[in-house]
Amino acid sequence: MFSELSKRLKKDKIARISLAIIILYFAVALFTQAGLLLPDFDKVNYTESYQPPSASHICGTDYLGRDVFSRILHGTRVAISVGIVSSFIAIPIGVLLGCISGFFGGKIDEFVVWLYTTLDSVPGLLLIMALSLVLGRGLYAVYLALGLTTWVSLCRLIRSEFIKHREREYVLAAKALGAGSLRQIFIHILPNVFHIVIINFSLRFVYAIQSEVILSYLGLGAQDMPSWGIMINDAKVELARGVWWQLTGATGAMFLLILAFNIFGDFLRDTLDPKLRGVE
Amino acid sequence: MYKLKVIRQLESGDNNFSLSFPRRRESRDFKAVDSPVKPGNDNFWLVLLHGKNTLLACLFLSFFLFTGCANKTGTDNIIRLPMQTDIKGFDPAYAEDLYSHTAMAQIYETLLQYAYLERPYKVEPLLADGMPEISKNGLTYTFKIKKGVIFQDDKCFPGSKGRELTADDFVYSFKRIADMNTRSTGWWVFDGRIEGLNEFREKTKDSPKTDYTIDVAGLKAVDKYTLRFKLTKPHPQFLYTLTMMYTAVVANEAVETYGQEFLNHPVGTGPYKLTKWTRNSRIIFDKNPTFRQEFYPVTGETTDKTNGLLVDTGKQIPFIDRIVYIVYLEEQPLWLNFLKGNIDRSGIPKDSYSSAINASKELMPELQEKGIKLWKVPMLDVTYTGFNMEDPVLGKNLKLRQAICLAHDINKVIDLFYNGRAIPAQGPIPPGLDGYDPEFKNPYQSFDLEKAKQLLDQAGYPEGKGLPALAFEASGSGTIDRQWAELFKKEMEAVNIKVNVNYNTWPEFLDKLNKKKGQIYGLAWGADYPDAENFLQLFYGPNAANGQNNTNYKNPEFDRLYEKISTMPPSGERTKIYKQMVKIVTSDCPWIFGAHRMSFALSQQWVKNYKPNDVATNLLKYYRIDTQERAKMLKERF
Repeated sequence: MFSELSKRLKKDKIARISLAIIILYFAVALFTQAGLLLPDFDKVNYTESYQPPSASHICGTDYLGRDVFSRILHGTRVAISVGIVSSFIAIPIGVLLGCISGFFGGKIDEFVVWLYTTLDSVPGLLLIMALSLVLGRGLYAVYLALGLTTWVSLCRLIRSEFIKHREREYVLAAKALGAGSLRQIFIHILPNVFHIVIINFSLRFVYAIQSEVILSYLGLGAQDMPSWGIMINDAKVELARGVWWQLTGATGAMFLLILAFNIFGDFLRDTLDPKLRGVE
Repeated sequence: MYKLKVIRQLESGDNNFSLSFPRRRESRDFKAVDSPVKPGNDNFWLVLLHGKNTLLACLFLSFFLFTGCANKTGTDNIIRLPMQTDIKGFDPAYAEDLYSHTAMAQIYETLLQYAYLERPYKVEPLLADGMPEISKNGLTYTFKIKKGVIFQDDKCFPGSKGRELTADDFVYSFKRIADMNTRSTGWWVFDGRIEGLNEFREKTKDSPKTDYTIDVAGLKAVDKYTLRFKLTKPHPQFLYTLTMMYTAVVANEAVETYGQEFLNHPVGTGPYKLTKWTRNSRIIFDKNPTFRQEFYPVTGETTDKTNGLLVDTGKQIPFIDRIVYIVYLEEQPLWLNFLKGNIDRSGIPKDSYSSAINASKELMPELQEKGIKLWKVPMLDVTYTGFNMEDPVLGKNLKLRQAICLAHDINKVIDLFYNGRAIPAQGPIPPGLDGYDPEFKNPYQSFDLEKAKQLLDQAGYPEGKGLPALAFEASGSGTIDRQWAELFKKEMEAVNIKVNVNYNTWPEFLDKLNKKKGQIYGLAWGADYPDAENFLQLFYGPNAANGQNNTNYKNPEFDRLYEKISTMPPSGERTKIYKQMVKIVTSDCPWIFGAHRMSFALSQQWVKNYKPNDVATNLLKYYRIDTQERAKMLKERF
């Protein structure tokens, strides 16, 4: 799988660039988290509020005179962390429920299908907002809310794959040789459907970042730390003053990351899904 | 209760507020103002102000303008004003929003009114002949009524001739508000105040037709021109109630003749009568030919003379023949018409703010060129950051509170959040009220980091060491709430005080106040009536928590003085006590005093006798249009 991946990656320039951008963002997130990059992002300088972009402030300053560029970089940290943490909550739930319901069928399947259908019938963002209100404001609530609500599509995909695979010869053979249910699920079937998890990870990562921005914009997300959503929210009042740099910077950063993720996600799907791979 | 969020909707709002400051029209964001309104609330300005807050943007526009669209030359004696929303009708029993209130105030009159030029605001007789006699115990108010006041001519009277106003008309009008069949929105003004009126209301409950001959002990026409109220308990602010449209006098003939249609057929005693009202389009008033003789005020503030407000002193009012209110549901056409000289007064729509006002808060030269005048109107309000005085850390430590006050720079807030449209508050009483002292400087209202650090040291927390993180409760999670809290946090960091911010919804916030949870709150207070008592009650011990004293401040000396003034009629002595009370409060630092906000209004140069007013609505009778000047200006400058 991975040799195929790197082979294709060598051929596809845009995917390579996208991957580079994603890695760059991850690096920025890591370094800002460690305090190695622009640690002065929160430094207030009242005399310099609303400075337009210049050599010393590439993206200008905000209402408290803080450097917008460093806040954008620190916003990356929040965005990436939301993507990663919520994935680590959502993916195990989705995979596990998908496996057992697809493999066992019957009552278990009915229950899981009922559960995700119910969850899916509530508009996603509303559900996330409701959850983060219940859990209290802040980043932890966003992690949890996103993690607990976004496993549905992955679960559905895994389930349908399992229904297909459980009747295949190699599974029947394993069964005939005396493999138990757990062994069939995790040793035999799961590796064969795991590409779905990888593709899904890259796509839901984008969704998680968007949701974080929206929630922060609505005041339900990150508190007291730089976040793209908060910066866009600031811009709401500032645009009338002609302060455009904060909005532009934050949306630009978000745009680039999401675009890279989408392109790379498409590339992953094309590469990993045998049905889409084609012949070269 | 009229609590306000510290920062209101600058985000989309700060526009055309003349009377009100940053308010926005969508009511959602008015949660701050909306939720505390309860029926039966005894703050009678509440509803009016409530209307203002929600709608004031419009009012401003609507209330203060003139225009000339019908007549190109501008020589007609007509004032054209914008109204930003349609009114509901002309029945004083439903005068709950500012627009309807304003429209009715041209036709209907009340016993008392606010003196036009005098500041601080003060009530003066309108239909009453002199101020009332008030009994020693403060319970009985005896009014003489002006003789020779007649209702406008109308078909409902015999021979279509208006008859003379008598004391019985007031008795009828007040009973009508109490009558359950009227379903007036203004009952709370009288609820529990007047002896026997609640019992009267009970009796009207089940009868489809109310018997207005039932006696009410506290509401008596002693003779044709004498009216006597008996209150159930002393209420020095009762006089302010009598300026409200709910207490306007109506003729029983008109109510009975028109029935359901009464709201389209106003019959009043005022300077104007309704000529035409096309819903959602325009309202036209003409001078009432049978209006009694009334004169332009003789006295005013010292600056009124230099501002040319005393030129018409002693002349008979009204001056203007016709008032045209034009309903503009959108701001842009209104603004453009104002710039063309078609409208005589306007606020500043938010999208036009930067093109109308320059960085030094003055009018742009192109508007000055047209002779447009800018009015900066102080609002009767105060913003503050309150400390919970029952909190173990903050409550007992005066030095700590003082340090926090000194570390906070109000000018920065004014600059960042109010576009500079506010003045720093030295105490709780805003300018325009008795007890406001322009000379008084609050020693803790200055920004002084060094001194703050010293005080923090003396408070027992050198360099902030040992001080637990303080909780700042924000009253919302909107942009401005957040920015405001962030600024406060940063300011406190500068003196090594750590602050954690909790963002609340408005109901959550109110709940925390009432339960005395939390340590520091950001809030504002808007006047219910133009009396400093309304601001001082915010510090009265027994008003703590569930009352309006949100900081749970308690000072026996202050409480004693408050009890003394709460039944005192206005006097120099009372004003002196007010000032003394302000000094007590400011030295105790239960609040970081914020700002008194200002709203900006514009008027055309040819509108004479215009003086911004934050409380009254019956002002058009004082205005004069210099038609010559208008004709000349329109030709040359517009």
